[in-house]
Amino acid sequence: MPNKKILIVDDDQDVLQGMHVRLKANQYDICLAVDAFSGVAEARRSAPDLILLDLGLPAGGGFMVMDRLKMIPSLAIIPVIVISARDGLGNQKRAFDAGAKAFLQKPVDDKQLLAVIRQALGEPAATKKPTLHDQGAV
Amino acid sequence: MPTQPSSDLSAYLSHELRNALACIHQFGNILVDGLAGKLTSEQREYVSIMLENASTIRSVLDSALDGVPGTPEKLPNKIETYF
Repeated sequence: MPNKKILIVDDDQDVLQGMHVRLKANQYDICLAVDAFSGVAEARRSAPDLILLDLGLPAGGGFMVMDRLKMIPSLAIIPVIVISARDGLGNQKRAFDAGAKAFLQKPVDDKQLLAVIRQALGEPAATKKPTLHDQGAV
Repeated sequence: MPTQPSSDLSAYLSHELRNALACIHQFGNILVDGLAGKLTSEQREYVSIMLENASTIRSVLDSALDGVPGTPEKLPNKIETYF
């Protein structure tokens, strides 16, 4: 069974790299975008199974990305998880109203993130390859 | 960086510090979990200390900014989903 593909949209290169390493280690295929415009373009190009979306993005912002995705039927069905350093219930409500499946506030716990990703993808809990730490190798 | 209202400054600091903390947590856990190679027990202990202190900073940040006028309210410490 092919790996699920996750698009990460965040303008912070360190965040992108960290999530890339973590999700790759859990057998997901990853594609990346650094702004709102390229986020929508990459979603069209790669047709991911899930999108992890920051809100504070150049060239439009995360809410604009969700609006654009909703206009394209093939992309409107992709689940979106918002991960933002912005706090506040206002952003959370707005994200849910825009169609987000979950709202996570940075810094995000890795186990929680993976649990939400599996839930959004309809995967059973904890079926991914355990880390070396989980295996007692470190 | 905003130069006027302190509320803008608080929101800016909250956002920037949370982003930086996210990276510290992310890469610290990558090291502890051995995703960048196996650590010695001593190295793991040191990275764990670093992560514990990053968590302390987050708590301090939440407490310091809680109730500051103009600072967006922080979320409860749980994940909200619409599944």
